[in-house]
Amino acid sequence: MNCEEATKLMDGYLDGELDPITNQTIEQHLRECQKCDEAYKTHSALIRSIGNATPYYKAPSGLRERIQSSLRDEITERPTRNVVRDSQVLFRRGQPELRTILSGTPWNWLALAASIVLVAIIAVNLVPRLRRPGADQFLATQLIASHARSLMANHLTDVASSDQHTVKPWLDAKLDFAPPVVDLASEGFPLIGGRLDYLDNRPVAALVYERRKHFINLFIWPAASDAASASKTITRQGYQLLHWADSDFNYWAVSDVNLSDLQTFKQQFETRTPHH
Amino acid sequence: MALLLNEEHAHETEDSDPKIVKFTVVKKREEDHARQVKSTSFEEAMLPHLDAAHNLARWLLRNEQDAQDMVQEAYLRAFKSFAGFHGGNGRAWLLTIVRNTSYTLLKKNRAVDFTTSFDEEIHLAGHESVSPATILEHSEDADLIKEAMDELPAEFREILALRHQEGLSYKEIAEIAQIPPGTVMSRLARARAKLKEYLAARIGREK
Repeated sequence: MNCEEATKLMDGYLDGELDPITNQTIEQHLRECQKCDEAYKTHSALIRSIGNATPYYKAPSGLRERIQSSLRDEITERPTRNVVRDSQVLFRRGQPELRTILSGTPWNWLALAASIVLVAIIAVNLVPRLRRPGADQFLATQLIASHARSLMANHLTDVASSDQHTVKPWLDAKLDFAPPVVDLASEGFPLIGGRLDYLDNRPVAALVYERRKHFINLFIWPAASDAASASKTITRQGYQLLHWADSDFNYWAVSDVNLSDLQTFKQQFETRTPHH
Repeated sequence: MALLLNEEHAHETEDSDPKIVKFTVVKKREEDHARQVKSTSFEEAMLPHLDAAHNLARWLLRNEQDAQDMVQEAYLRAFKSFAGFHGGNGRAWLLTIVRNTSYTLLKKNRAVDFTTSFDEEIHLAGHESVSPATILEHSEDADLIKEAMDELPAEFREILALRHQEGLSYKEIAEIAQIPPGTVMSRLARARAKLKEYLAARIGREK
């Protein structure tokens, strides 16, 4: 290698971007050529020093909020046109004929079928886009969204009561399963109420507990199999998610309280429910 | 399952056709939910790169207010095309959008300076009398370096920020600046040489 070639490759060498063989050839040349070696040392000292001293402009506080709020505007102002929207229009237009054709058909069953199709469409569209590594991650995203929305939209509870004997019958009547409901006020987790939510493509029970001004959403739905899976935790965006299951139900607790509080909550809940 | 949701809303709806309204309510809820999931997932993937986005925009536009507007605009664009993001390097993906958005503004304002456009004879007068050792002495002066760097053409400011501040690989830089990977090294070398010249000229003038 001559000096000209060495000079040309110097920046790549300095940045560690050359292949091993070229690296060796350059090192060989630098050992043999004092002039290039000096030039290299000065250049690298200077470049590193300049790199370190160049100011880095961190985003000012407030920019994040500005972006988040502009994203929210974007979502609410311009809802995505999709199959759902178009099909609604069709339904309205075609109403009288549909009525005639479908008279005598239990409409709710049609709505149910349509819902299932639409949920499937949404799920099929969403899942590949999100590219979540696993079903848990996808579910975690849904759980956090539900939790955040319950606090944001002033829709924390459908039935606000600290009395488990009020909340439980209300939920039982709305769902096709009977979730366990216990008040844990004496353990430091007073029950605030219950709510219906929609997760994992099914209606679920959401119990709301308070912990020192923070809220815990406990989502409950029937377990798919008899096997009780090991409990797991996910931490994301400052939220803690704690999952466990027993022979009957899946449980997901979501909150911004710390993980040990959430684990205490889980233990208390488990000891007070009849499954244990 | 969804049947139960319908019944939940049944009491709220006394419009002309409760069934349609019920149907709409359920759909609305699912749509909102889908959008919320998309938005949450976008913020989760892209907001961690806010500093990188701001830094690049700030170096390209050389103005704080423009940089902030640009970053906001870039995030909106990124959100709209988020479906085209297939995982992988989120920072490089976002920075490409920031870069393209910034260049659009630079071109519009005719402030585009992709090649060295000003009178180098004046700017660079006397730089040859300044030795590398002297430049090295001044190389920790952040203000001096900032001024010299701001004088560089956009493509040089960009590549220096990406390499020295974000620590990106040549491959990532090639992706963001949309140049062949083989061009990255030579452009970086030219940018560094130019920066050294400008520093020398500034130091020479101050003496």
